[in-house]
Amino acid sequence: MSNPLLEAKNLHKTYTLGRVQVPVLRGASFTLAQGEWVAILGSSGSGKSTLLHLLGLLDECDADSGGVWFDGNPVAKLKFSARNAYRNQSVGFVFQFYHLLPELSVLENALLPNMVNAGMGWATKRGPAQAHATELLGAFGLSHRLTHKPAELSGGERQRVAIARALANQPRVLLADEPTGNLDTQTGTEILDLIAAKHRKGLSIAMVTHDPAVAARADRVVKLVDGRVAL
Amino acid sequence: MYPVKLANRYLTSRVIPLIAVAAVALCVALVVIVVSVMSGFLDMLRASGRTLMGDVVISYPIRGIPWYEQLIDTIEKLPEAEAATPLIDTYGLVRMPYPEGAEKEVVTANVWGIVPSSFNRVTDFSNALYWKPPATVDAAAIMSPDDPRLALRENILNDGLNLIKSDTSEPGLVLGMHVSIANQRMQDGSYKPRNPQWFMPKQVVTLTLVPISAKGTIAEPRERVFPVVNEFKSGVYQIDKNRVMISLAEAQKLLRMDAGTLYDMQAPPNADGTLPVLGTSPAKVHKVLVRAKPGVTPDQLQTAVFAAYEKFAFDIAGDPSKVVMAPRVETVNILTWEQHLRDLIAPVEKEREMMRILFSIVYLVCAGLVLSIFWAIVQEKTRDVGILRSVGASRPGILWIFLQYGLVIGAIGGLFGVGLGWLVINKINWIHETIGQDAPAWSYTTSFLIAAASFIMCMRGAVTGVLLSTLLWLVLGITMILVGVGLLLHRGTLIWDPSVYYFATIPDQVDWFTAIITWFGAVIFSVLGASIPAAKAADIHPVRALRYE
Ligand SMILES: Nc1ncnc2c1ncn2[C@@H]1O[C@H](COP(=O)(O)OP(=O)(O)O)[C@@H](O)[C@H]1O
Ligand SMILES: [Mg+2]
Repeated sequence: MSNPLLEAKNLHKTYTLGRVQVPVLRGASFTLAQGEWVAILGSSGSGKSTLLHLLGLLDECDADSGGVWFDGNPVAKLKFSARNAYRNQSVGFVFQFYHLLPELSVLENALLPNMVNAGMGWATKRGPAQAHATELLGAFGLSHRLTHKPAELSGGERQRVAIARALANQPRVLLADEPTGNLDTQTGTEILDLIAAKHRKGLSIAMVTHDPAVAARADRVVKLVDGRVAL
Repeated sequence: MYPVKLANRYLTSRVIPLIAVAAVALCVALVVIVVSVMSGFLDMLRASGRTLMGDVVISYPIRGIPWYEQLIDTIEKLPEAEAATPLIDTYGLVRMPYPEGAEKEVVTANVWGIVPSSFNRVTDFSNALYWKPPATVDAAAIMSPDDPRLALRENILNDGLNLIKSDTSEPGLVLGMHVSIANQRMQDGSYKPRNPQWFMPKQVVTLTLVPISAKGTIAEPRERVFPVVNEFKSGVYQIDKNRVMISLAEAQKLLRMDAGTLYDMQAPPNADGTLPVLGTSPAKVHKVLVRAKPGVTPDQLQTAVFAAYEKFAFDIAGDPSKVVMAPRVETVNILTWEQHLRDLIAPVEKEREMMRILFSIVYLVCAGLVLSIFWAIVQEKTRDVGILRSVGASRPGILWIFLQYGLVIGAIGGLFGVGLGWLVINKINWIHETIGQDAPAWSYTTSFLIAAASFIMCMRGAVTGVLLSTLLWLVLGITMILVGVGLLLHRGTLIWDPSVYYFATIPDQVDWFTAIITWFGAVIFSVLGASIPAAKAADIHPVRALRYE
């Protein structure tokens, strides 16, 4: 196999609660190959979200522990602006609780990564970005919802918007944190179908779940036990 | 672009920003109103100086300046001086024509003896004279039908200007508008005697002056009956309340400051029993008022007049025909109007300085308000910040959202504040007059009706079980009851007491310079107030924000 697309080696993460040190990750390692869909299975509180946040550069692991490599490059060396760009373009995040901005419409939420990326040049980049987002939302069956606010949508619809947002800048990796955890089985399956469709087109996916049935949709399943990844 | 879009959405989708805008607007309006009134007040004081006293005043009180005609000639030759006029400035008693019966009211007055023709060139006397027929048909049309000025003829103005009663050729007297308590100020600022019988220009008053000898002792008081020929209104209440004017010649006669023969008291009497004549004792005046040519500052004129006075004193000393010397320049006061009325202007300038210091406190209140409101907004938007960071938004980007927010609130609030200030300042005299009266019946009736309606809505809310609206209607109802009772019990009080603030009306011009500065201040302090919560927002750790559930 060639170089893994996303790789974590020997990650340690300890939370301090008052005077108590709570070790969550104790030498977790993980690899995701180009075009692969890996499910990370673990019980509640086992540190799945923590691991995913570290992969997405939303959090820092303990000093003197391992690190994260993207496309062969260590992300620990990235500067502030490069970290922002990594979150903006290299990976896309999907959360259990959707996390849409309530004041923005469906279309605006889906365009948020494009707007953040464009900065002052939004006026010139708006056209193609909007075309891409509209197409994506259309494929997700949300064409008639573009101007609605998130509060007017069902849970399944919200998660579709969140996925469209995660894919806005066409990242190579999708990081999904229990994307179906808040949905009924029927709707959850529909969401997983959408993700599977994107996977078939080449998207690499790291998905966290505590549900073995959901994990079964992936190419490969790893388990997070005692702060380590067991194969 | 997203910071602009988000700041815009955060602003338009909730009530808190409106409260912030209202708070900033009120602060700015407060500052604009207070400073405008203070500045207007100072401007009025300064402007009234010129119209009342000219630009420079030479004074030598009690004993007076002799040969003043020669002094005036010297001054009027100055390229800096427009005109100069002599003045007697003393105190006296005026016996008024009222009340009915033998016991008349007597008031003390500041008596000015003037030469009307030159006085009118130095000051704005003819405009200050109040009683004159309306100048145009249009002017007459806007007067109330019972305004006494409608019945007047042109001669009353001339009588006032010449200080002569034309039908009898008697020397006349002009009263300040507020000397007579019979004059009543109307809503529109015009005057009317409380009783037509006490229309002052048809009355006579008795003026008593007390001459003071060269040794500084009081001589036998002298009195004279004067017909009142007109009344004047300078706008400065203290002056309108106290000052009366007569001709210079009459004042000099009453004070024994007119020209006379000077006898040698030491020499033995002549054969016919009279004392030998030494020369003439010249007429004297207490003051000479000088007006500057256009473009000449009072300070420049003061320097020129000082030199002119030195030359005048030197000329008199060198003139063998003149026995009485002019007072030396060191003993004479030569002051600009501002210096002369330092006591009046200095406290106002101090007060304005005080106001400036208080402003900084108002700004701090403004910044504090914005800060606390933004703090709440940032608290509420923590999750949004986490989301934005998770899609790659930079910390400066987050900072910019909230700074912009502050900028817009400061700018819009400031604009509303200036507008509100402008509105209040424009209508300030009307507002003052309205507060000065008892509240009209419709005002408290309306508030009681609103209160009643609110209580009905409150009942309805209670029945349907909506607690918030029940509570809000209850609060509104109680507030309107309190407002209504307040209005019902309100008895007219005038805050702007003209006897304290010199002017009969409140200045009603917006000080635009201050308004613009205040607007900038509001923007700057709103942004400063927003910066702390904005920095806090930018510091929010993305994960901590997202784990918020
Ligand atoms: N900020 C934090 N401070 C302290 N403890 C934390 C913090 N975040 C997570 N934890 C703890 O770390 C453990 C792992 O959390 P998490 O990664 O969310 O697990 P999972 O996603 O597998 O349910 C949990 O016990 C949780 O309580
Ligand atoms: Mg989790």
